Amino acid sequence: MSAAHQVEHVTCLGCGCGCDDINVTVMDDRIVDAIPACPVGRAWFGDGSVPWEVLQGGKRATLEHALTEAASILTKPRGSLLVYLGPDLTSQAQRAAVALTDFLGAAVDSATSDAAAEGLLAAQRRGRATATLGEIRNRGDVLLFWGVDPNRRYPRYLSRYALEPAGTQIPNGRAGRFVIAVNIGADKGPAEADLTITLEPSEEIAALSLMRAAVLDHPARDQSPNLVSAIGLIGRLTSARYAVLVHDAEPTELPRNPLRVEGLIALAQALNGPTRAALSSLRGGGNRPGAESVLTWQTGYPFAVDHSRGYPRYMPGDRGLDRLVRGAFTAALVVGSPALAGEAAAALGGIETVAIGPGASRAPFTTRVAIDTGTAGIHEGGTAYRMDEVPLSLRPPLTGQRSTVQTLEALMDAVRTKRPGRSA
Amino acid sequence: MTVRLRIVGGTVHDPANGIDGEVRDICIEDGHIVASVPDGAPTIDARGMVVMAGGVDIHSHLASSSCNHARRLLPEEHSAEPVTAPALVDGDYLPRSGTGGTVPTTFTSGYRYAGLGYTTVFDAAVAPAMARHSHAELEDTPCVDGGFFALMGNDEYLLRQIAAGERERARDYAAWLLGSTGAYAIKIVNPGGIEAWKSGQRNLNGLDEVLTTHGVSPRAILETLADAANQLRLPHPVHIHCNNLGQPGNVAVTLASMQALAGRRAHFTHVQFHSYGGPGWSSGAAPIIEYVNTHPELSIDVGQVMFGPATTITADGPVEYLLHKSSGRKWVNIDIELESGCGIVPLLYKDKAAVTALQWAIGLELFLLSRDPWRVVLSTDHPNGGSFLSYPALIQLLMDRSVRDEKLKQANPKLLAGSALADGLTREYTLNEIAIITRAGPARLLGLRQKGHLGPGADADVTVYARNADIAQMFSTPRYVIKGGSLVVEEGQLRRAPAGRRLHVRPGYDDALLPDLKRYFDAYSTVAFENYPVQGVPDDPLPLSP
Repeated sequence: MSAAHQVEHVTCLGCGCGCDDINVTVMDDRIVDAIPACPVGRAWFGDGSVPWEVLQGGKRATLEHALTEAASILTKPRGSLLVYLGPDLTSQAQRAAVALTDFLGAAVDSATSDAAAEGLLAAQRRGRATATLGEIRNRGDVLLFWGVDPNRRYPRYLSRYALEPAGTQIPNGRAGRFVIAVNIGADKGPAEADLTITLEPSEEIAALSLMRAAVLDHPARDQSPNLVSAIGLIGRLTSARYAVLVHDAEPTELPRNPLRVEGLIALAQALNGPTRAALSSLRGGGNRPGAESVLTWQTGYPFAVDHSRGYPRYMPGDRGLDRLVRGAFTAALVVGSPALAGEAAAALGGIETVAIGPGASRAPFTTRVAIDTGTAGIHEGGTAYRMDEVPLSLRPPLTGQRSTVQTLEALMDAVRTKRPGRSA
Repeated sequence: MTVRLRIVGGTVHDPANGIDGEVRDICIEDGHIVASVPDGAPTIDARGMVVMAGGVDIHSHLASSSCNHARRLLPEEHSAEPVTAPALVDGDYLPRSGTGGTVPTTFTSGYRYAGLGYTTVFDAAVAPAMARHSHAELEDTPCVDGGFFALMGNDEYLLRQIAAGERERARDYAAWLLGSTGAYAIKIVNPGGIEAWKSGQRNLNGLDEVLTTHGVSPRAILETLADAANQLRLPHPVHIHCNNLGQPGNVAVTLASMQALAGRRAHFTHVQFHSYGGPGWSSGAAPIIEYVNTHPELSIDVGQVMFGPATTITADGPVEYLLHKSSGRKWVNIDIELESGCGIVPLLYKDKAAVTALQWAIGLELFLLSRDPWRVVLSTDHPNGGSFLSYPALIQLLMDRSVRDEKLKQANPKLLAGSALADGLTREYTLNEIAIITRAGPARLLGLRQKGHLGPGADADVTVYARNADIAQMFSTPRYVIKGGSLVVEEGQLRRAPAGRRLHVRPGYDDALLPDLKRYFDAYSTVAFENYPVQGVPDDPLPLSP
């Protein structure tokens, strides 16, 4: 047994908070402690053990043979190909995967949820007013939580960014902030709120619209008591020095009105007339915003891109996994954790699928080739983006046996040997 | 293997070496210009053509988180202009597809810059916290050597040092920041005004209006950072976007800013946007350029507005809010903790719009009334005044008065009365002057000793243009472009896409800074001090000035 050692300032990708203050204790190549990680973070790190296998047709193979077979599958003529980016990839791996997508003329989609996609599309129509998390910490004096309690899925959001810490303009921390919870049916705000109001789901969009109207000095008349209380929040918000609206950009168990995010974007923008305001969108773990960032700088679009015509096309209304389930693809490359279930997993099992990522050899669908690699931030260094799109440095506490980036680059070499020219 | 090339018989414009249109050969060996190569070296027949060093863009927005937010905002532009991958000759380079519009994807930006004969580009505004994003984008921007300027002057730590009178510590901090982020120069955007926007003061409108949060004035910020850049012997002096961008009457604050730095080396950027008379709209170009003409320590780039689509991307948050309110176009604002901001509004510059016509005229006046081309650089503040793809059209406006006059006739004359351009400026730039304002001048102002000229030892970045009576056509389709000795454009076609070099500096500083800085990070930053510096920046910083 070897002595334990510590790796300091590790960045946790358990949720989108991207806490980079984690002190990880490693013993015998296993993570034995992660402090001060929250429960979500501890679950993310686990003990860091992942399989390190290479499978071809379900049987062990050499990496060279597996890559050659994968290249054959991905370069078949007249095939149509999906590349899927799992959530736990470094941006370096995402770049290598999108390069393959481009070269192979494939469709590419990512772990960007449909709910998050609604927000991206709304922001493409309107723009947005937002801020990095440190601005919330340093300036946010009125915080409004719209149907979300960050304690549930983003446990350190309040303690690190939004509520408790002192900031440059909030020297007294919690005492210097006024917190409003808006409960939307069963979507409840935080219990720590100074003021809580409740809206029925059927009232939500009207409330957002009337609140924005109030900011723009258009008073509303004859509204229900709930809506009157929502409109009444505007006085609090406009008298803030820096108002922050917080919502969950990821899906929950409860159905959600897709107009919510557009209403919040519009309200946050309007609040910048009388005061300053930002909308903070809570995002899930891994490096989801990184995939959106990489896809944007390489293709011009943040998700749902198709290269089958030799150039990037945006297909936000007909995403890769939807097309997969419809039988639109003959082969797939799944990069990152193969955490797909249900119809998508069934569809992947029915076509020729190559999986490269942490746990690829144990994918819940049949693979032709599976190559295990490490997880971003646990075995792999590089960059990941926080929920506010700040790029963070990753300090992996463990050493992986095979990196995702190097495996994808080797696959690219094998692909270019099979098909020297581009498909376009 | 030694790679050699001889460019034979071209008419060379190499103003840095005093060569103005002489027929001579240019020889290349292993990525550099040399005096001669042995007989039998491969040749390019450039007889009858014009040979210049590769273009150097001193001020662009092409590789930053702000650019990427703008890209994401503009799917409609991308859908309208898909770009297939180029047909490259060598297997060494993976050709990449992309999309165009005013903010193209990274690979497309690199290909298009090279396609114009530009081989060095700087992104002029990167929030230090976002530096690792810019490095990644630059890695994905082939064919050009590139770097970026780090945004300072609205950063909490710096403002605190200025407020405390700790100017030496401010200088050490600037040095640490440049080295930690792999940046090339200090950039100030709206000194103090972004912090004012974030803190509720909204903006600072004069050089001595103080930030209520810090008690610091734009004047103090300009002086501190100009002195820091000069004392640190940075190859490029402080790069300044003045207060009150785009506001009528802002010529006063622009002149005051120039006067505030009297005797100090400084570069004022996109000065067109800062040369408006007031209180109504009128041209303030004449007093600005006259001041620049008589102060050799100052330089400017113009930030020309070109008629057509543009996207405004700036750290100057308050101006973007005003633009959003006045234009009604969609708007992005991102406040960046402890450092800066980001605002984005897409725009269309129409020649029939009176203010746009005035902006267009002011930019041209700055060019045409300048007496020293070495200190007046061609830029459109891409993509703020227009795309870099409009540089050839801008060169044509400068070189061909008939084209310029024709455009002027089509422009809205309402606000042009009394402007020098409307009164008739006959000047036409020569090819040598174009070579100065597009490569030799910016390379010198950036302190890039191996760029912008064709003397022995220079980087082998060379552009060969086929002569054409249509100047815009000539400059938009170079026949050959050589980047670091590699033949990037051949017979007008992009054929190779080598990775560019990262241009960055690493000035020294007093380590006594670090404990204080760490305490500050621990108190206010959401990124650990230990995780803040960018890893993986090549260990090859450019030398500081002598």
